[in-house]
Amino acid sequence: MGSMLTLAWIYFRIGLIFVGGGYVLIPLLKHIMVDQYHWLTMRQFLDGLALSQLTPGPLAMLATFTGFRAGGFAGGMVATLFIFLPCVLLMLVIGRNYHRLKNTDIINSTLDGLLPAVVGLVAAAAWNLGVSSLSGLKDILILVVGFAIFKWTKVSPMIVILGAGLAGLAFQ
Amino acid sequence: MDEMTHKVSLTEIFLTFAKIGITGFGGGMAIVALVERICVKEKEWLSSEEFMHGLAFGQILGPFSLNVCTFTGHHLRGIRGGVTAAVAFILPSFLLVSLLSWLYFTFHKLPQLQAALKGTNPVVIGLIVVVAIDMGRKQIRGANGCLMALAAFAATVLIKLNAAWVLLAAALWSLCLTLYRRSHC
Repeated sequence: MGSMLTLAWIYFRIGLIFVGGGYVLIPLLKHIMVDQYHWLTMRQFLDGLALSQLTPGPLAMLATFTGFRAGGFAGGMVATLFIFLPCVLLMLVIGRNYHRLKNTDIINSTLDGLLPAVVGLVAAAAWNLGVSSLSGLKDILILVVGFAIFKWTKVSPMIVILGAGLAGLAFQ
Repeated sequence: MDEMTHKVSLTEIFLTFAKIGITGFGGGMAIVALVERICVKEKEWLSSEEFMHGLAFGQILGPFSLNVCTFTGHHLRGIRGGVTAAVAFILPSFLLVSLLSWLYFTFHKLPQLQAALKGTNPVVIGLIVVVAIDMGRKQIRGANGCLMALAAFAATVLIKLNAAWVLLAAALWSLCLTLYRRSHC
């Protein structure tokens, strides 16, 4: 039980300084899991990273993998719960005060003013993903087909994504 | 809007975000694109503006995919709604990673899975592009907006600046502009 408390405390601390998307977690978790506690070898850590990328969840699902290693299923659960606790709490606080925040004139027009930057970030995410993961004409063709389906039809994204996964499996 | 938001049941919130949690392969922006498509476009649970405010707040701490879910859930049913959405979104990935971790530490190899899921990559990128275009049409007005979107894009792609810094800079710029306009009107 003591080790569960230790786990909870470790992941809660990570959750508190987990700023700016998932990638900051990689050096952070590596330091704690591999160098400090020796729960994982470097190789296992990298495998876990690939594995957590396979799931729909954020990169932070790496916490589940490392927690699992440290304490089995319960360890994974504790790690997942505590790494996400700080950001969920923060979003609830923001959500609760959203209408007050929104009705404050300065905050409101500042928020509206930065929306184009959000659009730029979304576009940049598409660009970065494309550069790092598209290879060959086939991928580009699939992208174009996907784009057309999403842009001009109302087919649910779930069906398209699952279909693409099956197609990927079939053509392997 | 308020009348409608009270009618969304916790069960529906749970099922919706669990569905997003199951199919949102590609992480991060792919999830955001899914949530936008389903919660803003299809179900009209929140407006495009509210959604983007949530996205901007969501960059502060933790994964913004999860934060957008929490924000949307809270918008619909308060704290219980937010917690429901967050749990529903994480649960499928949690179970999947637990299973994969168990397989990994038991058998030490998982080659096919990675290959299979690679097929979804291009489609997910296509979805993100569509979302960027739709958002841009609605939110970018005038030269200032165009410049800001381009600058954010360039800062991320060319100098690999962290999204949090980009947003902080955009917020400061936008705040200065607001204060400037206010003092000159």
